[in-house]
Amino acid sequence: MAHYTPPKQGKTSQLFDVLVLVVLTFGALFVPLWMGMAGAAKSVATPDPNPTWETLGQTPAQAAKYEALGYDPASAHDLILARFDYSFSIGALLTMIVVIVLYYVLILRFSEVEYREVISEKFGRE
Amino acid sequence: MADIDITSQTIDGMGPHGTKVGLLRVLGPAHVWALGVGIVLVGEYMGWNFAVGKGGAYAALIACWFAGILYSCVAMIDSEVTSTVASAGGQYTQAKHIIGPLMAFNVGLYLVFAYTMLEAANAITAGYLFFVVAQMTGHAGDLDQRPFIILVIMFLAWLNYRGVLATLTFNLVITAIAFCAILILFLSTSGILGGGIMEHTALFEGHELPYGWIGVLAAMHFGLWYYLGIEGTTQAAEEVRSPARALPFGTLAGIMTLLIAATLTWYVCSGVLPWEYLGDGVNGSVAPLFDTARLSGSNGLVWLLGFGTLFATLASANGCINDASRAWFAMGRDKYLPGWFGAVHPQYRTPYRAIVFLVPIALIFALGAPLDQVITFSILSGLLGYTFMPLNIILFRRKWPLETIKRGYEHPFHPIPAITLLTLCGVTFFAVFLGYGTQLVAMIGFYIVVSLWFHFWRYRFVNRGAQFTMPWPKPQGY
Amino acid sequence: MDLWNYLEYAAWGISALLGLHMLVDWLKTDSSYSEDVLTSSREGELEAMAEEHRR
Repeated sequence: MAHYTPPKQGKTSQLFDVLVLVVLTFGALFVPLWMGMAGAAKSVATPDPNPTWETLGQTPAQAAKYEALGYDPASAHDLILARFDYSFSIGALLTMIVVIVLYYVLILRFSEVEYREVISEKFGRE
Repeated sequence: MADIDITSQTIDGMGPHGTKVGLLRVLGPAHVWALGVGIVLVGEYMGWNFAVGKGGAYAALIACWFAGILYSCVAMIDSEVTSTVASAGGQYTQAKHIIGPLMAFNVGLYLVFAYTMLEAANAITAGYLFFVVAQMTGHAGDLDQRPFIILVIMFLAWLNYRGVLATLTFNLVITAIAFCAILILFLSTSGILGGGIMEHTALFEGHELPYGWIGVLAAMHFGLWYYLGIEGTTQAAEEVRSPARALPFGTLAGIMTLLIAATLTWYVCSGVLPWEYLGDGVNGSVAPLFDTARLSGSNGLVWLLGFGTLFATLASANGCINDASRAWFAMGRDKYLPGWFGAVHPQYRTPYRAIVFLVPIALIFALGAPLDQVITFSILSGLLGYTFMPLNIILFRRKWPLETIKRGYEHPFHPIPAITLLTLCGVTFFAVFLGYGTQLVAMIGFYIVVSLWFHFWRYRFVNRGAQFTMPWPKPQGY
Repeated sequence: MDLWNYLEYAAWGISALLGLHMLVDWLKTDSSYSEDVLTSSREGELEAMAEEHRR
């Protein structure tokens, strides 16, 4: 097959390509932040107005550790009672699976096309 | 043109294919170990304990061991492929030869992002450490962390710029100290030397699995943090004296070191710190090993673990700069990125343009983005990379069966490690989805966009046949 | 002003020096060597050498 000769890339074009990549990168990182969709925060479901080590579910041994770390029941309240919420919708899960699978299918297909070209130029057709 | 300083007596530098200035082959297996373990060990000093918060102490231990299996598979698979593809760029070059250019471009970006983000996270942690030490020594007012964050990145970039041997020797020393600090903490608090302070039974009572089994799944997200980055050993391939031997040796010794360090870390921290405190890496235990030392009542241990934490963050950031710049350089050399990046410094023999270019990027992340966001971006890039590895090894064995290429190391029980790895990656994707589903989709959206950009625009500048550089026979089935 | 204030200034100063050193060296290198030499590195030279030996 014909040997492919790539065009020479000028300085400006090189710079532009780098800029595109950098902008895309920052987009992926900061757009979820700006849209306020980032992160999984813990929250306290049922606050305890008058916490003691017993109502926080701590045994004396555990309470002793908290005291050694400088906490009392009031200051340890949020730390101890906050929990993650692991509920999720099947729809969101399916979306994620589809996106991941699509992504891998996409790159594997395109890679295969490009790879065949590489191999046939490198080794020639038999 | 000035005279070219090529003082090499052996094969580095001047070579065939017209290489006039190449990377220097000076490293041994110990440096490979230091690069791999150095990047990762910071994960023991901070970050892994988020796994405790996700599912409790037992969940973190289960995640630690399952992630350990995942990474053992990664290390074995990587060792086999890299013992035949010994070149800077690591997994990027593997992907280019085995799966194809677009996959390689994606893998290259995974590497650069995983490492640059990790580097930023390390610099943030180092800045915070200075802040804490200033407070402990009675500094009035709040210390400005920014100059220390910038100093960490600048100093390590400068070290990397000046030469790989000094960089990784420095890493070897500080990594060894940080690892010994964990061993000493374990020996002196577990009751082996002197009195023990472990209270696992009492601390776990009533809190065995606070979220049930879904907490164990969720903990896998941060379970990766115990080992994230060990695959970076392959980036040194072009600078190691005998890659086919040193890379598998250094990588496998590295994963064994980490399995020990991770289990010991879990053991001492969970035996001293209550799980709610240990598991909250923001408001609770930012540096769990350091907190454990504080509760031990020994001033010597506090100092030792304080320095251990600082050294671990430095070693990690250092290795990250090394790896990210090698991957960026390798992509520039192949014109996957502008060819300007594919330059080697004629005296220091380092990919100096890639190193300098990545400095401001790391600084922006370190100064401008929150820590958990940066860590998640890093973990996700890593995870996408681990998902690629089983595909890589399966295709490698199919296109070049064992008898067609001589490997420096053959991993056992193929394809069981590949299938195990793929399954564990699936579990981890689910764990990430439980906490950070939006980021996951945003991130993959990003990779889809850059993939299209690469396929339809960027790839025109790439030489087709010439990018296949290994002296391998034609792959089967083509 | 205590020790830590001086350390802050020192950190700014050293960072700037290291950055400047890299920048100056980079520009000097770029101007004293031709682009062909700097970007002459090729992948897989070791492998190619081994091949040539065998032949």
